[in-house]
Amino acid sequence: MTTNDELLRVGIGGPVGSGKTALIEALVPTLIARGRTPAVITNDIYTLEDAEHVRRELDGILDPARVVGVETGACPHTAVRDDPTMNLAAGAELLDAFPDVDTLLYESGGDNLTLTFSPALVDLFVFVLDTAEGDKMPRKRGPGITECDLLVINKIDIAQYVRCDLERMQHDAFAVRDGRPVQLTNSLDGTGIDALADFLEARRGALSAL
Amino acid sequence: MLDASLVTWQLADSAFPSGSYTLSHGLEGYAQARAIDAGAVAALLDDLLLHAIGPADATALALAHRAALEDDWATVCEVDARLHASKLTRETRQASLRIGRQLLPLCGEVFPSPQLERLAQLTAARTTPGMQAIVIGVSYAGAGVPQREAVGADLFAFCSSFAGAALRLRLADHRTAQLLLRGAAPAIEQATSAALLRGPQEIGGCAPAADVMSARHERADAKLFAS
Repeated sequence: MTTNDELLRVGIGGPVGSGKTALIEALVPTLIARGRTPAVITNDIYTLEDAEHVRRELDGILDPARVVGVETGACPHTAVRDDPTMNLAAGAELLDAFPDVDTLLYESGGDNLTLTFSPALVDLFVFVLDTAEGDKMPRKRGPGITECDLLVINKIDIAQYVRCDLERMQHDAFAVRDGRPVQLTNSLDGTGIDALADFLEARRGALSAL
Repeated sequence: MLDASLVTWQLADSAFPSGSYTLSHGLEGYAQARAIDAGAVAALLDDLLLHAIGPADATALALAHRAALEDDWATVCEVDARLHASKLTRETRQASLRIGRQLLPLCGEVFPSPQLERLAQLTAARTTPGMQAIVIGVSYAGAGVPQREAVGADLFAFCSSFAGAALRLRLADHRTAQLLLRGAAPAIEQATSAALLRGPQEIGGCAPAADVMSARHERADAKLFAS
């Protein structure tokens, strides 16, 4: 297997419906515009819906062969943390087929607030919440929220319609994370996506310097 | 000395990271076709042990174990190739290959041996595929686990994974899953004894219904498991 020296492996986790897939669909074109060559591995719970959605939405932007779905045997936590064997295998096969890939995005099957990624699988992980889940979500904590490298609060455009106090949600998110990064996004109009890409590039630079 | 037993318990433990929890070993295919209910799960497991996994994976494991200890790498490669060819459906072939390729460096790190080093060289050179049963067989051989214990332990690990899948498919509960596992003991014993007597040319199961279910499963729109 040949891998790019600058390869960055990013886990993207979060509850079902928080917008992980939409975030990836917004992030990939931004990465490509910056000269990066991403690939995507989705951990679908039951169907290949996420993988097919990414392929469809990024048609003409990302080669469909660079999007792979992994079945998780009803154990989405296990597949990205306790025993990432099948995700490691999928990643190795993708990199074998496309050695130019420099950004590997692992989308977890939607799960609860305790989801974290194995450091053997990813270099960093992003946890995605959304405003429709309620502004109480950060206060619930959970390792996904408190331990991720970057917490994203997505769907900021609909906060006003779902009785979410966005300012409070962001404040609480910073508080439970001891001030570590929180990013507000609207994946549909691109708000916050450049900042997310900047964050990944900064981490890539820091890891390369090690 | 407990060391060989400790290796066996570790490698056959469902907590050992082999990715096997992503496999149903054909059970989900049967469930999707509504061709099985909770009362028939034990019979299916026995059939798979005696007619599919026993003549295929368990036999290959036994042969690879023996050949690795005899430093007969041509036979290890032949057994690996025959096992690969004997798996008719893409999903079963791919699962075994994926797991084998991921297990090899892990086992090399956890249970280092000259035998595993040699197998790693052969797979890196793409001389041999590196199927799961071969990697496990060579791991056990290198760690000093006797052939019979190695085969029996791997068949137990298969049954444990199968029982876990039955639980998640709601074909068993926490209690009946354990009864299923214990009830498989005679078939494990029989499949192990038979595996130890076969030669390389006898590798391969014959379970046409399981192959049909697997072929349908790999094309299913929705599924929890990779096989």
